[in-house]
Amino acid sequence: METVKFSKAVYALQAIKKAAYKFIDKISVNIRDEGENYLVDLIFSKEISPEAKIFILSEFSKEVLDQDLRESIKTETEAYRNLILAHVFSKTPLVTDE
Amino acid sequence: MINLYGKYEKLSVSNDYSGLLKLTTNELLPFPLRKQYGLISDTAKGDGFKIVLRKNSSIPSATASIKLSEEIHHLGNGDIVSIGADNNQLRVLFRKQSNQNSILLTERCNHYCLMCSQPPKINDDSWIMEEVKELVRLIPDDTMELGFTGGEPTLYGDEFIDLLSLCKSYLPRTAIHVLSNGRSFKDFSYAKKYAALDHPDLMVGIPIYSDDPVTHNFIVQSDNAFSETIKGILNLKALGQRVEIRVVLQRYSVERLEAIANFIARNLLFVDHVALMGLEIMGFTRSNLEELWVDQYDYKDKLSNAVNLLTSYGINVSVYNHQRCLVNDDVMHAYRKSISDWKNEYLEGCNGCARMDECGGFFSSSVKYKHSEFIKPFES
Amino acid sequence: MSKFQPIAFYAKPTENSYSLLPFKFSRFTNNRILLTNMVGEYFLLEEDKFQKFVSKKLGTNESSYIDLRSKHFLKDSSNEVAIDLLALKLRTKLSRLSDFTALHIFVVSLRCEHSCPYCQVSRQSEDKQKFDMSEEIAHKAVELVFRSPSPTIKIEFQGGEPLLNFELIKYIVVRAKQINENERRNLDFVIATNLAVVTDEILQFCSENKVHISTSLDGPKELHNKNRPRKGGDSYERAISGIKFARDVLGKDQVSALMTTTEASLSKVKDIIDEYIENDFDGIFLRHLSPYGFAIKTKSYASYSTEKWLDFYKKGLEYIIEINRNGLFFQEFYASTLLKKILTSEETGFVDLMNPAGIGIAAVVYNYDGSVHPSDESRMLAEMGDDKFKLGSVLTNTYEEIFGSEALLNPLEESFSSSNPMCTDCTYELYCGADPVYHYALHNDFVGRKPESSFCNRNMSIIDYLINRMEDDPFVKKLFYKWANR
Repeated sequence: METVKFSKAVYALQAIKKAAYKFIDKISVNIRDEGENYLVDLIFSKEISPEAKIFILSEFSKEVLDQDLRESIKTETEAYRNLILAHVFSKTPLVTDE
Repeated sequence: MINLYGKYEKLSVSNDYSGLLKLTTNELLPFPLRKQYGLISDTAKGDGFKIVLRKNSSIPSATASIKLSEEIHHLGNGDIVSIGADNNQLRVLFRKQSNQNSILLTERCNHYCLMCSQPPKINDDSWIMEEVKELVRLIPDDTMELGFTGGEPTLYGDEFIDLLSLCKSYLPRTAIHVLSNGRSFKDFSYAKKYAALDHPDLMVGIPIYSDDPVTHNFIVQSDNAFSETIKGILNLKALGQRVEIRVVLQRYSVERLEAIANFIARNLLFVDHVALMGLEIMGFTRSNLEELWVDQYDYKDKLSNAVNLLTSYGINVSVYNHQRCLVNDDVMHAYRKSISDWKNEYLEGCNGCARMDECGGFFSSSVKYKHSEFIKPFES
Repeated sequence: MSKFQPIAFYAKPTENSYSLLPFKFSRFTNNRILLTNMVGEYFLLEEDKFQKFVSKKLGTNESSYIDLRSKHFLKDSSNEVAIDLLALKLRTKLSRLSDFTALHIFVVSLRCEHSCPYCQVSRQSEDKQKFDMSEEIAHKAVELVFRSPSPTIKIEFQGGEPLLNFELIKYIVVRAKQINENERRNLDFVIATNLAVVTDEILQFCSENKVHISTSLDGPKELHNKNRPRKGGDSYERAISGIKFARDVLGKDQVSALMTTTEASLSKVKDIIDEYIENDFDGIFLRHLSPYGFAIKTKSYASYSTEKWLDFYKKGLEYIIEINRNGLFFQEFYASTLLKKILTSEETGFVDLMNPAGIGIAAVVYNYDGSVHPSDESRMLAEMGDDKFKLGSVLTNTYEEIFGSEALLNPLEESFSSSNPMCTDCTYELYCGADPVYHYALHNDFVGRKPESSFCNRNMSIIDYLINRMEDDPFVKKLFYKWANR
């Protein structure tokens, strides 16, 4: 098992969960709240090689960052995104005049 | 060069021989029409005509008769003149032979362009509008094209729209070309009135002298000119009206010529025509000549780049008022032999040039005051 | 004459008197920064000037200030109209999106007499019942076509080899034209065929009904036949004679050709281009390696292949530029598509480079079995067993169910580039596109991680290259203006 620390001030919990979910086929994960940080225990299967372990750890961290950014950017750009998509569908029968 | 002003000598007068008049050389014009016309003839009695105009003889007639001075002997059938009663002066308002009759509506202007060939005056010259309204009723309706210039024609506001409406009524088949700085059209309701005319063949030529607003404002000597002109253009195009962009090429506009072409291509792609025009040495151009002059030969590559950029984007472009030997071959698809027939001349050194028939020649003012140092006849 | 004011009178001289308009930026060659404004117009600026610009310390007399102002990177009191112009340009760029689906692909048969190794969809079979589209399905699909609000409709026939079910092509053309008598859209037809089985009767029909031909020409004979085996080993010969035949009957402009790039193509770009020139085509589309098939799950496809392909592409592009310099006008169509986005406010409708993604919005595929897919690639995925993007069936679903399907809306929303990390800040965002199908196929996710994405890598590399070439070489700039406006 390896434990990774993520500062609460920097990373959203949702992002950590989403990243953990993506690795569900390779590892099981336990997320703990400890003061200013989230602690994530990554539990590997016994047969895993050291190289594979390192690879998964680095991929996991990347994934947390990715998911975190996706979430914040998605929220920030929601209004613009909805406007454009509404414009795209504006002449189809899917958008009704309400 | 053809004179549009002349003097006359009174041979015999009547009470009512002054004002606007159509001219004819047809002595046999049906009687009921004659009082609307002046007869050009050296010998005829001219019964029933409003006035008889002599060129080479001094025979008076029973009706009014005058002898035209030398410089207006070009007058002929179909021309329209204004005869001034008290000052023995005659103004040529419309020339049948010309394919580019251009009618000045006012000398007032809200710009003060560094190279203005018709320097603005502030006097109230609204009498001109009255005269033009009368003129439009006299112009033959098979006239192909008519131009309205100034000063700034739209300073007349609604009256200008009325004039255009009169043109539509009396000259429905005549193409109308208006020169304006376009700022009045920033007011959408005015642009709408213009559009509501629904004229069959109307275009407004609007100058933009730079992609840089400060340079443009400087050249036209008015703050905010750039923004308001562009807004005017956008309104006109939103209402489906035809717009031409005119760029007079002098030092300040030539400096950024390629940037201007790029600006038009990216921002004003929908304009109907772009006119790139050589400098005419008249009016303010003469007084500012040293500051404004740039030799056409020195910018011919910039001109090529600008023309070809606009052409690549599918924009109609024309190059006016440049001599053939001062442009590269790659602008020939846009090159026009355009100088109005009343301004066109050549230099002595041009004799024998093999491409003279391709060339637009010079403004008389260019011959007189300043032209390129690089004029050279083609050998083949 | 002192009654004229000097230029300084009209300039606004004080520092800090301008505001920044929205733009994105990145480092470029030779210590320059590349900026793109809100509508994707680019500008190159030396780094030190850039620093001054963003700290509001750039002097209003400097030429870079004047350029930045007239290209809509900054606003001061003399160019209020910049906002109106930016708004107009943005509306222009986005206006075609609401026209919705213009390209409607009909897979009229999976049967094919070729057995190209890179093809994922065709079947060597005589079983028409099993692998041909039926009239019932065609009838329903044509009705769906005209539910699209697009004023321009292009119906494209694909397969397998569509000419093997020519009767159905005729049925669809006739039916579509019938409906169009009331609908009055701009209606176009094209058949994507290898031309191996084309006949006079087929071409006569195409001529009468203004149907275009798009065929495959992978390169010179050896390469083409190696890529595209068929019984008799004569794919190339048939393609060439088919092209001539089709041009004779339909007209030269109605026949176009596409290539598929394989491993074997990568060392032969000049030969491939020469083949197109020799056969009188006025351009070529140098396509990227298709990731579909066995390559799809191998990560190694991504890095190794992308580098080799970029090498292939750039060599090809340089060769084409030389050809133009030597007097023959010849286009590369992928570059032209990117250049149209870089140099104009027009949109291209090119499915792979659209945001929101072109799936469904720009194109839709009606498969032989009635299933509906939002793009050709997603149809291929389905044939390989993954139904992720399947929208429904013409036999059982309505237009609203198909285009309102979560299978379409989810990837559209999730892959929206302005909402994705890195894309949202990318200087080239408006030149590029979202490709959820590609990213799902390779990365199991509609978005992927862009630094790992060969789609991203490829496009950024090409756009960098195009801009560098334009800025270095006035001839190339002029040439690219022409390509952008075709």
